[in-house]
Amino acid sequence: MIKIVKRDQPSRAIFFFTPVLAIFLTLVAGGLIFFILGFKPFEALKFFFIVPIADKYGFSELLLKATPLCLIAIGLSFCFKSNNWNIGAEGQLTFGAIVSGGVALLFYEQEGFYILPIVILAGAIGGMLYASIPAILKTYFNTNEILVSLMLVYVSKLILDYLVVGPWSNPEGFNFPETRQFSDSAKLPLLFEGLRIHAGIFLALAAVVISWFVFYKTYLGFQMKVSGFSLKTAKYAGYKGKKMIILVFLISGACAGLAGVGEITGPIGQLHREISPDYGFTAIIVAFLGRLHPVGIIFASLVVAITYLGAETAQIFMQIPKYTGQVFQGMILFFLLASDYLLFFKIKFIGSKK
Amino acid sequence: MNTNLKILNVTKIYPGCVANDNVSLEFNSGKIYALLGENGAGKSTLVKILSGVIIPDEGNIYLNENNLKLNSPLDAKKNDIGMVFQHFNLFETLSVFENLIIDSDDERESLREKIDTIMKKYNFSIDLDIPVLNLSAGQKQKVEIIRCLIRSPKVLIMDEPTSVLTEQETSELFLSLKKFSEEGILIIYITHKLKEVMQLCDEVAVMRRGKLVSVSEINNENIESLANKMVGQNLKTIKKKKTKTSSDQLIKITNLNFTSEDPFETNLMDINFSVNRGECLGIAGISGNGQSELFQVLSGEIISKKNSIEFNKNYIGDLNPQERREYLMAFSPEDRLEQAAIPQMKIFENVALNNFKSSNFFNNGLINENKIKEHSKKIISDFNVNTDNIELKSQFLSGGNLQKLIIGRELITSPDLLICFNPTWGLDVGAINYIHETLIKINEQNKSIILISTDTDELLKLSDKISVIHKGKLSKIMNSEEVTSEKLGILMGGAN
Repeated sequence: MIKIVKRDQPSRAIFFFTPVLAIFLTLVAGGLIFFILGFKPFEALKFFFIVPIADKYGFSELLLKATPLCLIAIGLSFCFKSNNWNIGAEGQLTFGAIVSGGVALLFYEQEGFYILPIVILAGAIGGMLYASIPAILKTYFNTNEILVSLMLVYVSKLILDYLVVGPWSNPEGFNFPETRQFSDSAKLPLLFEGLRIHAGIFLALAAVVISWFVFYKTYLGFQMKVSGFSLKTAKYAGYKGKKMIILVFLISGACAGLAGVGEITGPIGQLHREISPDYGFTAIIVAFLGRLHPVGIIFASLVVAITYLGAETAQIFMQIPKYTGQVFQGMILFFLLASDYLLFFKIKFIGSKK
Repeated sequence: MNTNLKILNVTKIYPGCVANDNVSLEFNSGKIYALLGENGAGKSTLVKILSGVIIPDEGNIYLNENNLKLNSPLDAKKNDIGMVFQHFNLFETLSVFENLIIDSDDERESLREKIDTIMKKYNFSIDLDIPVLNLSAGQKQKVEIIRCLIRSPKVLIMDEPTSVLTEQETSELFLSLKKFSEEGILIIYITHKLKEVMQLCDEVAVMRRGKLVSVSEINNENIESLANKMVGQNLKTIKKKKTKTSSDQLIKITNLNFTSEDPFETNLMDINFSVNRGECLGIAGISGNGQSELFQVLSGEIISKKNSIEFNKNYIGDLNPQERREYLMAFSPEDRLEQAAIPQMKIFENVALNNFKSSNFFNNGLINENKIKEHSKKIISDFNVNTDNIELKSQFLSGGNLQKLIIGRELITSPDLLICFNPTWGLDVGAINYIHETLIKINEQNKSIILISTDTDELLKLSDKISVIHKGKLSKIMNSEEVTSEKLGILMGGAN
């Protein structure tokens, strides 16, 4: 007989084990789906998860996709750890990209070492501005940040649409919905000849280190943590709880904005309609899969990035729609939430004697 | 007709605790039974089993020799078992009448008649057509009782009914309960207040750690004997030595007002008082009369005019709690789990919440974990917190240990003034005793206390001076020798 028993206290080992379990279950379920679709499960999974990263180019693509995911997820971890449910990172990414793209276009056909830093900074500021909207509405008008931040995603995409079709569209672009190409000084340098991986990865790594340091080692991080758990306690301790909420939104917005900068000044090199394959939303999964811990997030971003690549290979070699990638992302989150049940409950096998 | 309720070998096990361990009890109508025990002794579990909210792992319940299967609260109702919970289950915006008939299929007209007869019979006067939110706590409780009476119950269970009542409302309740009992309703009265047991009940069953410890006639017991049974050890009685307090003024509140935008908060009107060194000022009142707001104004969570609070010859009305701590004030809020501590954080992290400059918990913006841990260990040993693991999440501390940790955290800075709000709320007798001793010790060291509490006995025991807060206004300040609990009760009800 199987009996489910509540744990006396959540287990630390299980806390880190459940993400692994979730990935395993996703693979099993994925294999099953492939089988039902008429593919050989192992072969299909190989196409999905191994073939795409088997060569140098593939590995560089993996890092390329993991970079924005990691960066955004790090930012989100500040929000989520302090119970602020910012799910509009996609919008903050888009708006960051708009602002930095605008600045990059100002420097059209200009050269100078100072251009790139300004462009990057502009992106971070853009993301922060956009994240400050749900933050301020939440702290001063008691609105729900989930709704506000989510809806602002669509607003930002429409603004981007308008800009690339209208005022910012390339005069020599035959009315394609895109801007001019940025000058080389406004682009992140490539790391290796022939590969698309760019210097944005250092931004992500810096974010990992800084976030770890701030959250675990500083008074500021401590205050954020306390404010997140209870605003009443924050007030009682004399912290400025509302400011802490706004601050975590700003940090998260800045990270998403930087991810946007990385995309448009990296592989894309201009603004157009499709600057992000929903990195902002997928990063939510990454953040939770990584247990909101900086190191965990690095691994999680690599795992989830594979689903993007795998979807593409699967489309080319197996004629499966690339949206399968999203199915896999969904399954990871689903199984993660399901296996989190084990944090609080354990399964006991009782021998059925008698 | 006589009613006989039997509980036979009831056991209910939760992970990590046996809430009811083979409990057997028998009740007969015509008597009022007290079920006495500390928090966590298992009385709530037992009555929840009787009212069908919880299903026991083992054991049976018999009503007049019928074996009852109580799988839901509805089953309990069907079997004529009525229950009035500690927290009211009423719809605030619906009228009294609507609340009363909400779970009944009978016709409105006949119900109204029935309710009118009940009210007349027991001298209840409540307007049936006003919304429940306009009622006082005592009236709301009557509505709950009427709701049970409509079904003409054989058994009526009252779970800690007096925690929200004034002295006067309490005596009214007791009269009603005695009347019900005379009419043949079996009454089971759950409480941890010994005085009430002595006043009201005929027989008393004491529970401790899930086990039934004793069943006895009330005539064979007294408060001390019951207390000792409840705690399982002999308690020392604590008494404060009345010393002559100094005339050296420590804190003075002048014309302090607070107007809230939140309709659920109470406005404070023209508060004036002062506390001398070595003195304990008790502030009594029924909860919800402005105590929480007063605490927040005093702690600095709500900022007021600079010169409305003078502490140690400094005007501090506009400072936040952290800044006030630097002037050697300390605060222990009412809500341990949502304000004074964060259950999900570790013990030492909770200690860091009381951050003052000389503690060096945080240097140049960085966390000084060693310092915090060292400090935490000292608190744990100095204040008898029952653990040696400061890495433990504080949610795993019992209420009493958590409160010791909080009081310890506040006192380790040896503040001149401790402001505490219901410091022993929900604690067991052992922990209450410890906290009381600690508070008395503070006064002996010539430090002062402002004790905001809804527990009159506690106030009378610890305070040198007492005032009563009612609807945001303070009564005049009285010497505690001149005050009796009856007098406080009258003032708490709003009379002069």
